[in-house]
Amino acid sequence: MCDNEKEEAANLKEEFEWVLREEVHAILHQLHTVLVECAHRFPVPLYGNEGQKQDKFILTSQPEQLKCIVTLTGDSITHADISFKVLRQMHTICRTSINQDGPWKLQQIQDAANHLQQAIGYIDNVDKHYVFRSSEEVLHIIQCLIGSLQRARTALVLPKKKAIDELMKSRNMKALSPNLPEDLAISFYIQSHKLIFVAYQLSSVHGTMRIDSCQADCAVPWLSDVLFMLTAALHMCQQLKDKLCVFSQYKDFTVGSRSASMVFN
Amino acid sequence: MPGTNLIVPVVLWGKHAPTHCVSSVYLSRDQKTLVTGCYDGQICIWQVDPDNLKMTPRCLLVGHTAPVTCLSRASIIQDNNFIVSSSEAGEMCTWDLVDGKCRESVKLSQIHTNIQAYHMCNSEDLRLFCNGYYAEILIMDPFSLEILFSLSSKMNPDWISALHVLRPSSRKDDVVLAISITGTVKVWSLLGHENKQSEPIYENESKQIRCLNALSLNCCAYNQRTVLIVCAKYCQIYDAGDFSVLCSIQAPSGERWMSGDFLAPDRVLVCSTEGKGYLYRLPANSVPDHKGFHGPTVDHDSPVLFGLLAHPDNKLLSCPPAMRFVITSVGGKQRRLLLRGDSAGVVSAWNVDDAAVPNPRSMPTHAPIVMTSLDIAWEDMNPSPVGILDQLHHPDEQEIKLTASIYLLAANRLVVGREDGSIVIVNATHTVQLQLLHGNHQQLDDWPPHQLLLGHNGRVNCLLYPHHVHQRYDKSHLVSGGIDFAVCLWDLFSGSLLHRFCVHAGEITQLIVPPHNCSPRIQKCICSVASDHSVTLLSLTERKCVTLASRHLFPVLAIKWRPADDFMVVGCSDGTVFVWQMETGHVDRVLHGMIAEEVLAACDEALADDLGGSLSTGSSDGLANPAVHFFRGLRHRNLTAMRAATQRGLAALQHSGPAGNAGPLAEPARARRAQLTVQGFRSNPAAMRAATQRGLAALQHSGPAGNAGPLAEPARARRAQLTVQGFRSNPADPESHILFFDIEGLIVELLSEEYSAMSPASLEAAGLITSEYMKVAALTQSASPDATKRISGILAKMKEGAENMQTKLQAKAEQLKGHGDAKGRCSFRCRVAA
Repeated sequence: MCDNEKEEAANLKEEFEWVLREEVHAILHQLHTVLVECAHRFPVPLYGNEGQKQDKFILTSQPEQLKCIVTLTGDSITHADISFKVLRQMHTICRTSINQDGPWKLQQIQDAANHLQQAIGYIDNVDKHYVFRSSEEVLHIIQCLIGSLQRARTALVLPKKKAIDELMKSRNMKALSPNLPEDLAISFYIQSHKLIFVAYQLSSVHGTMRIDSCQADCAVPWLSDVLFMLTAALHMCQQLKDKLCVFSQYKDFTVGSRSASMVFN
Repeated sequence: MPGTNLIVPVVLWGKHAPTHCVSSVYLSRDQKTLVTGCYDGQICIWQVDPDNLKMTPRCLLVGHTAPVTCLSRASIIQDNNFIVSSSEAGEMCTWDLVDGKCRESVKLSQIHTNIQAYHMCNSEDLRLFCNGYYAEILIMDPFSLEILFSLSSKMNPDWISALHVLRPSSRKDDVVLAISITGTVKVWSLLGHENKQSEPIYENESKQIRCLNALSLNCCAYNQRTVLIVCAKYCQIYDAGDFSVLCSIQAPSGERWMSGDFLAPDRVLVCSTEGKGYLYRLPANSVPDHKGFHGPTVDHDSPVLFGLLAHPDNKLLSCPPAMRFVITSVGGKQRRLLLRGDSAGVVSAWNVDDAAVPNPRSMPTHAPIVMTSLDIAWEDMNPSPVGILDQLHHPDEQEIKLTASIYLLAANRLVVGREDGSIVIVNATHTVQLQLLHGNHQQLDDWPPHQLLLGHNGRVNCLLYPHHVHQRYDKSHLVSGGIDFAVCLWDLFSGSLLHRFCVHAGEITQLIVPPHNCSPRIQKCICSVASDHSVTLLSLTERKCVTLASRHLFPVLAIKWRPADDFMVVGCSDGTVFVWQMETGHVDRVLHGMIAEEVLAACDEALADDLGGSLSTGSSDGLANPAVHFFRGLRHRNLTAMRAATQRGLAALQHSGPAGNAGPLAEPARARRAQLTVQGFRSNPAAMRAATQRGLAALQHSGPAGNAGPLAEPARARRAQLTVQGFRSNPADPESHILFFDIEGLIVELLSEEYSAMSPASLEAAGLITSEYMKVAALTQSASPDATKRISGILAKMKEGAENMQTKLQAKAEQLKGHGDAKGRCSFRCRVAA
């Protein structure tokens, strides 16, 4: 190696130590702030958040196909008045409701909140004065964080697909009063920043089952904030990861591998 | 897949042991097999000597794409050698420990964090009780990996953070004791007739306690009266009767608790994130037999630390190790061990019973009774495991690690990129011969000759030979990508550097070929991906960058194509999808969420249609290797197909000169196959599942892997007698190489070579002349109408010959293996369960 390269390597090493000593903690602190802020937007008890906020939404579809007035308390729909026109029998209107005794639970919210809680936990586990000694240590934490944040985001953005009979048998459906006829089903779920309501109708055409559906949605303000902050946090993690990966070509870089005289100059 | 048992994979591991950062550990009850799962998704099987616990790595199981979080036994039968593994991506596999094959695999939307195998009443074998990132408890069958039924919660339904299944001594039914992450303790009673159709099964009892995010929950096996719940900061003993806290143990400063279990009614073992085991004696109020049980905490009577299980050197770990308390029984003797697998791949075990006797005067630290790692196993081997290019390594110099490789089938050449930026091209058969077979050739200097391409400054990350993927590319072009941000275009024959593309702002991680139905300009391009998340289309003929797609904030996970629309669809790790116009380099759309998923999936469908069409024509008139068709016919008892194949094969032999590689006709079908999997890329769950279901165990490169998708391998291997595939478990590792020997191909090759070499006279002299030979001769000269009758005779002969050869080869292989063992060659095999 010529002198220039040696100098460059020495400088890089110094920078690497600085990243481990200062930058990692600074970024983790920043991440913590973002994630706690995110947790506080959730309407459920989460990380010092009192929780159980209540929101009211009206979901309708044009032309007056269905209408639904929803009260969202925490992660459950505690009250809803639902009415929708049964397809191909334009004059029949089906009505049902959700009440306090049998709330409709939106598992997606709880899942996202739990993943977020776990992510904050990973940062809490790192002592503020801890001295990182290798990039592997940090990368492991970042990898765990990215995993949790991605799962939290996915929980809200990509609702799990369910078979129709699974939906029909679900506890949520059974709590409706009055119960729906056997060929009808409804579902509530979150998709990105929206709460979505779908009514399904099953029919048998020439022996094959056919499912018709119509849906309505409405924007949930806190969901957009949460998604924005999750994405921002993910990006911060990714940047820190990329930064550390730049040093990975120098595998012998660990804190203390440099001669003592060069530290802090 | 039928018949693939004739493909024998042999691994040349090289001097460096694969990275194995342990995430879970398991020891079979008979103490003969230890299994470790790692953060990169591989599972290592270790052979254990039950007497002294000496461990030797035996197999590396490849298939999971994410950290392996749970390992569990699959059957109550002692010598039943199956385990179940589960990963953070929701994949579950059942593995046969004997031959390393994956027997069953599924991908669930529910991700487990813990699995307890339990023998329920009214069931023949074990059931898996799983909990994780979902609000239920799932009960699964370990062999079919089906969800049999689930347990739901009525009170505060939330994720279950820990559970324990047990059978109370006085009762016939089973009881599931669990705690949710918000601290609700729940109890379910199971009668054994639960199934999927039954109504939701709710808890019988529940109680809210002050215990958030529990990590483990264990009921004392000796009295079933006390329960140990471990949280990160403290662990507590509860009275199972009313769930009141009896005593609490703080985690040592700087450490967190991970798990714990009872050793005796009054003694517990708790493990910490630093990889230590702490032994505590419980105070009187926490021991049911004691008269002070359930009484108030007495000041002078608190939990007493009486032993510490730790490593003597206390080396720095980059993440908490996996620890497990196991009870084994060897020859009727019970033994209790604490296992640990850490981030450096070190596996150790403590004998808990040695340490379980409290010593009132001192608090001794116990060292593990056994400690080993893959690195140690590698070092112990003399000579060390061979690598594929060992001839280039001089003993006194530092070894240059191999970082990328591709195998050029038609030329039978192996191209290997190295850490110092050089690319070595060598005859594959010769270099393999040099490493595996003894003979005069080993005395030769500088044999086999190799070609050296110098141009990269630093590690070569990936290599691509585009002509392999599609014939439209120049036969002489080889492309490489390096850590120096450059993509180099080489003339394979002259060894000269034709062009250096410097358009990326990060190291090159992957090189791909766009589909053949793109616009003419794009057809001349190859696609490269870099660590700055940019993607480019580089024209090999124009020698310039056609499109630079560099707006991605997150790493690129998938690249798909819509050639008809001139779209390149880039999927990023955050779920965003960028749709790029290839010709103009404009972003057409950026998609998020559901729609992004759908667009990615739609590309696959379009491709599958396209592929289906071309494949079916390819196999009818493209005509793959006759040997393949012959055996396919044999398998399906399809006489016409067999006849056609034999005739074609024999005819081909008459014309072709030195045999050794598959005919060029085999190319197109294989190439398309490879293309599909390349586009499937690293983390395509569908591709991965399809592969594991075939028992193929995906062989995913978990990091920035270079070349053509490894999934393409079996298809390719069946058309050539030898294929070489690079493999690594972690992106930072140097590459090992897997050699796939196609025994089918070899047999046909060898037999027919022998037949063609022998004259009728020599056959007669050897006493081998039969009417069969005449039939062969007749067949190859003229396809007479009565060939049908004769062919059956040949078939019998061929089949017999093939079987003989197989036994011979097997014996040879065994011999070689034995020899290898003696010489310390890698008895440690990599399993590509085929």
